[in-house]
This record gives sequence, structure tokens and C-alpha cells, in this order.
Amino acid sequence: MDPKRRRRIARLVMFAILCVVAVIMLFPFVLMIVTSFRSKDQYVAGEGFSLDSWSQLFAAVPILTQLRNSTIVTAGGVALILVVSTTGGYAFSKLTFKGSGLVFLAVLSGMMIPMQSIIIPVYVNLAHLKGVNQFWSAIIVYAALGAPFATYLMTTYYRGIPTELIEASVMDGASYWQIFRKVMLPLAIPAITTVAVLQVIQIWDDLLVGLLFINDPAVRTITVGLAVLQNGRVVSIPMLMAGSLVSALPAIIVYLIFQRNLIQGLTMGVNK
Amino acid sequence: MTTTATPLDASSAPAAPRRRRTGLRRKQHIAGVLFALPVLILEGTILAVGLGQAIYYSFTRWDGIQSTWIGLGNYQRLFADMNFWRVVLNNLILLAAVPVAILIPLLVAYLLNEHVLGWRFFRSAYFLPTAISWVVIGMVAIRVFAVEGILNNLLAAVGIDLQTNLLSGEYSAMLAVAITFIWSVFGTNTIIFITGMATLDREIYEAARVDGATGFTTFRKITIPMLMRFIQFAFILTLITGFTALFSLIFIMTGGGPGFGSTTLEFYVYQQGFKVGAFGYAAAIGIVLFVVVFGISVAQLRLFRSRLD
Repeated sequence: MDPKRRRRIARLVMFAILCVVAVIMLFPFVLMIVTSFRSKDQYVAGEGFSLDSWSQLFAAVPILTQLRNSTIVTAGGVALILVVSTTGGYAFSKLTFKGSGLVFLAVLSGMMIPMQSIIIPVYVNLAHLKGVNQFWSAIIVYAALGAPFATYLMTTYYRGIPTELIEASVMDGASYWQIFRKVMLPLAIPAITTVAVLQVIQIWDDLLVGLLFINDPAVRTITVGLAVLQNGRVVSIPMLMAGSLVSALPAIIVYLIFQRNLIQGLTMGVNK
Repeated sequence: MTTTATPLDASSAPAAPRRRRTGLRRKQHIAGVLFALPVLILEGTILAVGLGQAIYYSFTRWDGIQSTWIGLGNYQRLFADMNFWRVVLNNLILLAAVPVAILIPLLVAYLLNEHVLGWRFFRSAYFLPTAISWVVIGMVAIRVFAVEGILNNLLAAVGIDLQTNLLSGEYSAMLAVAITFIWSVFGTNTIIFITGMATLDREIYEAARVDGATGFTTFRKITIPMLMRFIQFAFILTLITGFTALFSLIFIMTGGGPGFGSTTLEFYVYQQGFKVGAFGYAAAIGIVLFVVVFGISVAQLRLFRSRLD
């Protein structure tokens, strides 16, 4: 066989393999969508389509409330993470003080603490402060868990900004707060976006913190709501799939828009 | 760095020309501390205090309100607890799944890197599960492994009539969780390896081709060694994900069962703490998990360092 033809066949085989992998990766989503548009009977029969399960879902579960709760907790958590990571990153990269290197390492080591290792005392503490079923307790816990990596990303990013820029502004009489607001924050928009996208998906998708801290039906997030539904006695699979779709959709949209930032955030761990 | 000089320098030698500079530096130090405060307060009150308490309470019998010091009691009980060793075994199964969760993405990334038709689409499709919650993944996985589910149908189509639900077997449940886990981290690892391969020099491949090396040989002799740093990173990330991020998946898929068939360390903490109410005992399990994860992380840092030297 001539080498040109051999290469074409090889590329065809590769394409075929990649297609098979794509089917394996996407099939669950197809299953989820198709199933959600069937009633219970249609699901058993394996044919026909209807909106029964969707109306059933909206009747059985306060979807809009749960979406609102998820939005509050996610927005609050991300906002708090952004506040502490941008200010912290600024301090650790440009305003180094005596021992700041060690302090920075201490913050980073937070990444090595599994949530489960501290969740019991944290839960008891916040329960003493009447934080159970309050959004603020979940927001604080999410922020504390997300902040170490976010601070790492911000610090690395700020280190790339020339220090001369800050020194020049200081000579012009700008305060460190003004420099932060007028110089550092605008320059860091790409890093801020990456942190925000990573954390939105992280918090939106989380179960454990939500399950423990905000489990009352009135304050439940959609992810917790879905888990409760699954573990309940009602087992309408199409309805569960419809619920899954609703809960996954916001994160998928964020993913589709900000895919690039997500990949950047992920690979930053190796490149630096 | 001048900022880490001893404080004596500033106070004992306030030479006149330096006064303005030291004044500025002091202002900068104060600003630095102030800007670092928010993250320190947050991490201090939640993570540091939490970890300190977890360590302390792991030596007590604790119900959330009252605690009694029992020394190493919890740890002694832990090592004599047969269920604990079953749980450790489950973590070892996850550990065994990690090489698979590395190798498949490595091969696929190698193919993607050839930039065949539609490779951008494939990349997005593979990475999509990264955005999906473990809860949703678990829900779909249950349907895949069900008796009438896709897996059995597929196997039946090729002549293997199993008719079993992996999730209902005490030993097969963990296998199902591990398979789902491998599926979930596939996209992330593929992306890591594609990023790594983009840093490789194409000329090496050309040279290898000229020398008559086949695809598999170049993969084994060039790609893998050159990507070692990325493979190591993916390995640690996958392992830590497996040990600390599968709570929701297990909660949905199996609830840790049958028996302790799919309870991992992190799930055992939740189960002993919030289901049984043995907070002190659960804290001790959490500390064991912390030691394991911390050890893995430190080992990774060591490896990175030794490579840099």
C-alpha cells in the first residue's frame, strides 16, 4: 500500500474512534433529554413524546424557588471569593510584607484540606451561630473552600503585571486602594472571569454543603432539590430526567460561553 | 527580597536619605496586611479553626454539644473497625481506577492532537461533563447500570446476557462507581494532555517518522516521556478528585451501599457524623482522610521540585 493511502486510512480510523468516544460522552445527555419528553408510560413503552413529565415536575417541585436559591448562593459565594482573592492576590504579589510569603503558603495549603475533614466542626460552629438554613452560612463555607485556589490564580496573574506601574502611581500620589481599583482590578478582568466561571460551576453543582446547611425546602438549591427528589419515594424517571436537565442547563450555558476560561483555569496548575 | 529584612534595619539606622523610602515601605507593608486580611479572616475562621477543632475533637467523644476527652480512643476503634477497612478497600479500588482514567484520555488526546476532521467539536463534547454536577451524572448513571438499562442491552446485543444491576452487588457497586468516575474525569484529563501536547515540538515527531517509527512507538517513546509533568499533574488531580469529590455521586448512585460496598472515606465521614451522630469518631475519619490527601499533595510537590533541580 502506498504511504499516502495508508495515512488516509489511519486518519479515517482515528476519526471513527473519536466518533465512538463522542457517542459515549454525549449519550447520557441524549438519554436525559429524550427521556424527559416522555410520560411514565411512554418511557416504559420506549416510544412517543409528551410534556407530561415536565408539567409533573413543575407541579411536584418548586423549581423556580430552587433556581432562585441556587442563584443567590452561587452569586454570593462567587462575589465573596472574588473580593478576598483579588485583594489577597494584590497583597501577596505587589504589597509583600514581612512574612507574606509564609502567609501566602498557608492560604494555599487550604487547597489540601478536604471539605469532609472539617465539615463537622464547621457545621457545629455555624449551627451555634444560628446559620443553619440561612444562605449566608452556605455562602461563607463555599467561599472558604474556593478562596485558596482563587487567591493562587489571582496572585500568579498579578505577578505578571509590572511593579513599576504601581510605583509610578505611588509617586503620582495615588493611594494603594486607588491603585487597586483603577489599575489592578481592570487589568485582571481575564483572571477574574476565569475564577468566576470555575466557581459558578463548582458552587452550582455542589451537593454536600447545600445538603447540610440549607436543606429546608424554602432555601434548598436545585441540586439539593434534585437529590432529595431522587431519594424520595416518587420514582418517575422521566420527571427526574427533566429535573436533571433544568439543574444542568445553567452550568452548561456558562460552560459553552466561557469554555476557554475554564480550560485556562484548569491548566494553570501545570503551566506555572 | 528586601521586604523580608529584619525590622532592626528600619529602626536602628534611620539614615536621613532613606527616611522617605522606609516611610513608603512601611505604608506599603501596612497596605499589604490590610489587603491580605479578608482572605485571612475567611480562611482562618473556617479552614484553620475548622481543622484545629477537627483534630481536637477526633480525640473526644462528641455529640455536637458535649465532648469527653478519650485520647486515642477513636483511632483505636477505627483500626479495629472492620467496616473501616472495607472503606479503605473502596478507596484502593478508586486508586486502581486512576491509571485507567489517565491512559484512556492520553490515547484520545494523542488522536485529537492529529487534528482530524471535527477535532474542535470532539474536544468540546469530551469536556462537557466538567460542567455537569455529580448529582446529574449519578442520576443518569443509575439508568445506565439498571437491569433494563443501556449497559445490559449493549452487552446483550453482543451476546453477553448479564441481566444484573452492578449497583446492587456488594462488590460490583464500587466497580460501577469507578466506571462512572473514569467517565466523568475523562474530559478534564484529555484537556490537560492536549495542552501538554501543544507544548511539544512537532519536529521531533517528523524526525521520528523519518527514522521509520510507527504511531505506537512515537506515542510510547516520545509522547509519554515528554508529557511526564502533565501525566503526574493529572494523576494527582484525578486521585484527589476520587478521594474527596465523589460524595454526591455515591450519595445518588448507591448511598454508600449495599452494606459498605461503595462507602469511601469521605462518605464514611458523612455517614458516621450526620447519620449515626458519632461526631468525634467521624472527625477522626476526616483526619485520616486529611493525612492521606495532604501526604499525596506534599509528595507531588516533592516530585515537582526534584524534577526542577
